[in-house]
Amino acid sequence: MRTLTAAGLLAAAVLGAGVARARIVHIEDERRGRKELLFLPNGKYLKAISLGHAPLVADGLYLWAIQYYSDYDQADRYRFVEHVFGDVIAELDPRYTDPYWLGAIILTTEAKDLEAGLRLLDEGFAKNPQEWILPYLAGWECDRVGQYARAAAYFDQAGRAPGAPPALFRLKAGMTALGGDLHEAIARWRDVLDDPRNDDAARAIATRQIRRLTVRADLRDLEGAIEAYRERNGHPPRRLEDLVRAGLLPSVPLDPDGHPYAYDSARGRVSSIADRVLG
Amino acid sequence: MRAVAAIALNTFREAIRDRILYLILAVAIALIAVSRFVSLLTVGSEVKIVKDLGLSAISVFGLLATVFVGVSLVSKEIERRTVFTLLAQPVRRWQFVCGKYAGLLLVLAASIAVTGAALLVAVALKGASPWGLVPAIALIFVELALVAAFAVLFSSFTNPILAAVGTAVTYVVGHLSWSFDLLEKRMPGAAGRVLCRVLHAVLPNLDRLNVKAEAVHDIALPAGYFGAAIAYGVFYSLAVIVIASLVFERREFV
Repeated sequence: MRTLTAAGLLAAAVLGAGVARARIVHIEDERRGRKELLFLPNGKYLKAISLGHAPLVADGLYLWAIQYYSDYDQADRYRFVEHVFGDVIAELDPRYTDPYWLGAIILTTEAKDLEAGLRLLDEGFAKNPQEWILPYLAGWECDRVGQYARAAAYFDQAGRAPGAPPALFRLKAGMTALGGDLHEAIARWRDVLDDPRNDDAARAIATRQIRRLTVRADLRDLEGAIEAYRERNGHPPRRLEDLVRAGLLPSVPLDPDGHPYAYDSARGRVSSIADRVLG
Repeated sequence: MRAVAAIALNTFREAIRDRILYLILAVAIALIAVSRFVSLLTVGSEVKIVKDLGLSAISVFGLLATVFVGVSLVSKEIERRTVFTLLAQPVRRWQFVCGKYAGLLLVLAASIAVTGAALLVAVALKGASPWGLVPAIALIFVELALVAAFAVLFSSFTNPILAAVGTAVTYVVGHLSWSFDLLEKRMPGAAGRVLCRVLHAVLPNLDRLNVKAEAVHDIALPAGYFGAAIAYGVFYSLAVIVIASLVFERREFV
């Protein structure tokens, strides 16, 4: 009789627990997509109560954050990305570099918040000045949205970090050219040419870029001066030397091969065969 | 000295017969082994997570071993009345306390050697160099040796439950002692500030023995830090054991 009672009680308990569990799962399914991010205190406070195990707490939160931000059913899930990765995980373990770049990628790519992503990468680099990968990623993020001058500044920051590869200065020069400051870009490619750390292949790239950009810069300067001459005189100059006489150019440039640029005085257009030759 | 060694060896033998120690060791090693599968959940950082989890497992399970074994070391002898037989021999009370403590240190050393070796193997299997973790593991031993000294002290004058609470509180306070420094700056009265300063200086500062983050990130410790940290732990533990011996000297068993 006692065994029967115990078995009955056990069966009732198992059944009750199973029904209750099913009910909880059902309620959670209904709430799916509306789960709020739990209040997460600043990493400074968590560090204080971690009793010497702050790096492990940072790992735990990093793993949790990866799972949380991989759940695309969560509504409004990007509100606290910067807080989770920057204020909590980075405060717990400031030298933990993965959360900076992962948080930044989530912010820029998914939350479409470039400034917050860059802030996170800046914070990571300020705390880890040897991690050139952080400004390097920031540079590509700026490139992606067409902010080339900013991208060049980030690649410069990355290139100056200890142990960074010299190729980062090639990216800086490339971004400067994309930003439109051709003379500055030529100067930066000359830096690449002068850097003794670069090998022959890198020097060959720099030489080609200097040649190409020199032609582009000369043509742009000439076209600008021709346009100014046309506005002043109502017609384009007969010869390019007229631009020097008019004070619009200090001298008439020659192309990288030492040949004069071809000038069509009827249409006021200047061209070069050197820009089609990549050396 | 022979008496101390004999008690230490006996304590060690008795502790390694205790099943709870094996359970603690097994859980610690299982945790280190399982950490290898964390790569399924993470983006990068696999080696870091294995190192963090391993060092914390060594530390936390070492603390559990210290508490479970340490707090009943002296009180169990009193409870079982075996202390009378022992002290009837030509054994001084301080030798009894020192022997018990030395035995506990042997248990800790063995447990940290096993879990530490498991961690080094786990890290090496991940393709990373594990040797940077050795100073952190050594300082975990020093930290636990200090906590073990408190466990013996509490065990020498109170029952195991209170001794366990006291040892756990020591560990917590040891990691929060910086807060007295912080509190001192906010204290309005001079007496309060002096009290905070004294507590900050006197209470064990276990964070000084915590170099887990540096070891995981392969950051070199400042010159002389490792030696100074070991000296701090050794001298502090010595002071606590001296106090434990004095307390035990004055204790009456009837």
